[in-house]
Amino acid sequence: MTARVIDGKAFAARIREEVAGHVARLRAGHGIQPGLAVVLVGEDPASQVYVGSKGKQTVEAGMASFEHKLPAETTEKDLLAVIDRLNADPKVHGILVQLPLPSHLDSDLVINRIDPAKDVDGFHISNVGLLGTGQKSMVPCTPLGCLMLLRDLHGSLAGMNAVVVGRSNIVGKPMAQLLLGDSATVTIAHSRTKDLASVCRGADILVAAVGRPEMIPGDWVKPGATVIDVGINRITTPEGKTRLVGDVDYASAAEVAGAITPVPGGVGPMTIACLLANTLTAACRANSLPEPEGLTA
Amino acid sequence: MGATLIDGKAIAAAMQARTRAEAEALAADGWMPRLVSVSVGDVAAAELYVRNQRRHASAAGVEFEERNYPGTTSLEQLSGILAGLNADPRVHGIIIQRPLPGHIPVKALQTAIHPLKDVEGMHPASIGKIVYNDLGLGPCTAVAAVEILKSLPLTVEGLDVCVIGHSEIVGKPIAFLMMGLGATVTVCHHMTRQVAVHSRAADAVFVAVGRPGLVTGSMLKPGAALIDIGINRVTDADGGMRTVGDADFDSCAAVAGWITPVPGGVGPVTVAVLMQNAVSATAAQRAQYRAAFAAVD
Repeated sequence: MTARVIDGKAFAARIREEVAGHVARLRAGHGIQPGLAVVLVGEDPASQVYVGSKGKQTVEAGMASFEHKLPAETTEKDLLAVIDRLNADPKVHGILVQLPLPSHLDSDLVINRIDPAKDVDGFHISNVGLLGTGQKSMVPCTPLGCLMLLRDLHGSLAGMNAVVVGRSNIVGKPMAQLLLGDSATVTIAHSRTKDLASVCRGADILVAAVGRPEMIPGDWVKPGATVIDVGINRITTPEGKTRLVGDVDYASAAEVAGAITPVPGGVGPMTIACLLANTLTAACRANSLPEPEGLTA
Repeated sequence: MGATLIDGKAIAAAMQARTRAEAEALAADGWMPRLVSVSVGDVAAAELYVRNQRRHASAAGVEFEERNYPGTTSLEQLSGILAGLNADPRVHGIIIQRPLPGHIPVKALQTAIHPLKDVEGMHPASIGKIVYNDLGLGPCTAVAAVEILKSLPLTVEGLDVCVIGHSEIVGKPIAFLMMGLGATVTVCHHMTRQVAVHSRAADAVFVAVGRPGLVTGSMLKPGAALIDIGINRVTDADGGMRTVGDADFDSCAAVAGWITPVPGGVGPVTVAVLMQNAVSATAAQRAQYRAAFAAVD
């Protein structure tokens, strides 16, 4: 059996289109233009690429994009002042601080300064707790993207056995919460798990988010399972070239799985699409308008 | 019976002795820990709990004040009352007694308490900290269940744990606390297809559902620890009432390595955790006060 390949790129394009449609209606019907502010401190080249493509996609969706590029030596006080201003700005519905921050800045302090209602990354401690208590929150983008892919594939996840490998704050833990929220039976496995292979083999849904290239071989995958590979690892091939691979050994897993996300082109494109969806959701909530369906948990 | 009976009262007494020593040290420093219990409407419903809390507070060296408000008090008025308690430096912890009248959403009150005074550990920020593995003030029942497990001669790291019940204040926080300690956790609930498949694979089972007899001996791995958080009132064959947990005690005790009785297991430890939270909250407020006002040392 060969797995169905989950086309994250096409799905993300569909989400962005949907978001753009809602944005157009908000602007025409209510005169509201959702706005996303991205704060970048320093000149990390990878971060600059991310911020650039976030800004571009924000504008393409019809939203306002505000970029705040601050020098690497920005003090904590100055950065917090920028956050305070964005918190107060009614044109800004979403605030994203690009991580990692330079080492002299305390990222927890900075993230927790963001108004939770504008925290479109979903990393503010209140949003983490709201998600943990099943209340309305801002949901972290990558796990939200995974959830959307799973719902699209399966409809209901109720009663399915889901295994999340990796317990990171930005993917593993919120992913587990979201799967529980959709009534899956959830196991969170990690580096201390005794028999990872057998835990994985019990999964109808296997989400890999550890950041170790191709660590999950095909024979850990239950036949017919859905495999969501969140890992993005750059490796050097024997020929000396580099390429991107996931946490799952794609070739062997695709022989066994029912459906699988490729790397790249699977989960990756969903992240920015969900960022836009979160900004839209935040704008609707800020204006006491009904939030669009299917774009958040 | 094969299992060792876990003595919740003894664990609670040991915790209470430590709490009392800390409370006395704080009091000697001018920071006598003080809890305020807020009940609304029918006082009788919560009377048993409140009396129990008062007794334990007194034993732990914590002051305990009861405030009862009429059932007609509005949410706005209660929010104002909580704002007053938040601002009052003589109050270190606030307890919201349940049940509340129908027009008062409990989550709104829990969110209105300042996180530093949230001794019940129900504020989204308190839950968020647990998810991020930074335990400050945790929900008392969940923390009590985990404290009990930690008192057993088991290595928690790598332990296979099954949590039955995914409530926001018990099941889910237990899952995240145990995961933070390095356990591999599976969360089961009413949509789980075969709970026994998961529970039988576990070295430790937590059950918090509220259904007597839900867990039977055949669902356990021989020698496993069973922490029973359920509290159910049942009628005996002879018409008498008694309190039982979610486990079928006799069959489970024959298979398990350790088991908590109901009553006398998790219950007493829960109140001990509340008092421990009161002392931790007082210490945290002292630290915050000093950072803000007493920098000239």
